[in-house]
Amino acid sequence: MSAAEETIKDIIVKIVHCDRKILTPESTFQDMKADSLDMVQVLVALEDEFGIEIPDEEAQKFKNFGDFVSFVEARVAEKK
Amino acid sequence: MLKGKVALVTGSSRGIGRAIALRLAREGADVIVNYFRRREAAEQTARDIEELGVKASVIRANVGDPEKLDEMFDTVAASFGRLDIFVSNAASGLPRSALDLDAKVWGWTMDINARAFLLGAQRAAGLMEGRGGKIVAITSLGSKLVWPGYTAIGVSKATLEALVRYLAVELAPKDICVNAVGASFVPTEVGLSYAGGAGEEDEGAFWKTTPAGRMVSPEDVAGVVAFLCGSESFMIRGQTIIVDGGFSLTPLNLKGKGGEN
Repeated sequence: MSAAEETIKDIIVKIVHCDRKILTPESTFQDMKADSLDMVQVLVALEDEFGIEIPDEEAQKFKNFGDFVSFVEARVAEKK
Repeated sequence: MLKGKVALVTGSSRGIGRAIALRLAREGADVIVNYFRRREAAEQTARDIEELGVKASVIRANVGDPEKLDEMFDTVAASFGRLDIFVSNAASGLPRSALDLDAKVWGWTMDINARAFLLGAQRAAGLMEGRGGKIVAITSLGSKLVWPGYTAIGVSKATLEALVRYLAVELAPKDICVNAVGASFVPTEVGLSYAGGAGEEDEGAFWKTTPAGRMVSPEDVAGVVAFLCGSESFMIRGQTIIVDGGFSLTPLNLKGKGGEN
């Protein structure tokens, strides 16, 4: 489990108020009981935290927690 | 008409904000395009502004976040040293009935639609000090009419319109004119999403009950904003100008029937 993944979990738990234990690569936004406002806030928090940009067009393709983590990790790797 | 003026339009990557930004640019103003989520669209708006022969710059900020809002005005101050026109257009909200409206959605909507205008006007007034200026807030008929699911936005717009009156009086001695422009349903990407995404059917419903015989366009709204940013509207203060083709005057579809139906 990467450091990025732990940070992403921290952010989602803080904003969505879901149980940290349910956050597996397969867990969906329905599992997290996240609405569209939660999602925007999570995206913005991730952008600020990692200094990356997550365009809405890309975010709309995310199906589960794992998609979030891979996208963020890829963008962070590109920055280095 | 606005040659040499510096204008900031929040939420101007698309829709009504984009139309306002382009209209002010056409009048000769240099325009700062603010966006939150649509960078590509914002950059396109900026390119279209530059093609009109004026300067454009792009600043990303969630205006609902006071820190980001402050940073945006800091950037404006650093880049331009002043501001002549502030158009508070950025808005957000989720469809919720009053009974389903929770604190989170209420806070989000009020922060972006109402508080951002207050804090933005305070900063804008500072950058207009000694020269005067124009502040225009974009509102909607939902501040007075009741539309399904529009609760938080409608209430935030009522707050906005009240703020416009208070600011108009407080800023009048500084030669800063503060007004609002409110439209009925405008078929932008956001407008259509609120109409349930149904598109033509809902547009048709609005069209039929609009005495002027067509939908209000973003350019209709932008034209009135440009007027309020010009010198001829100097004595209009604290008003909400409704741009709806007469829609709000005719709650029943009696257009042209003479009461015979």
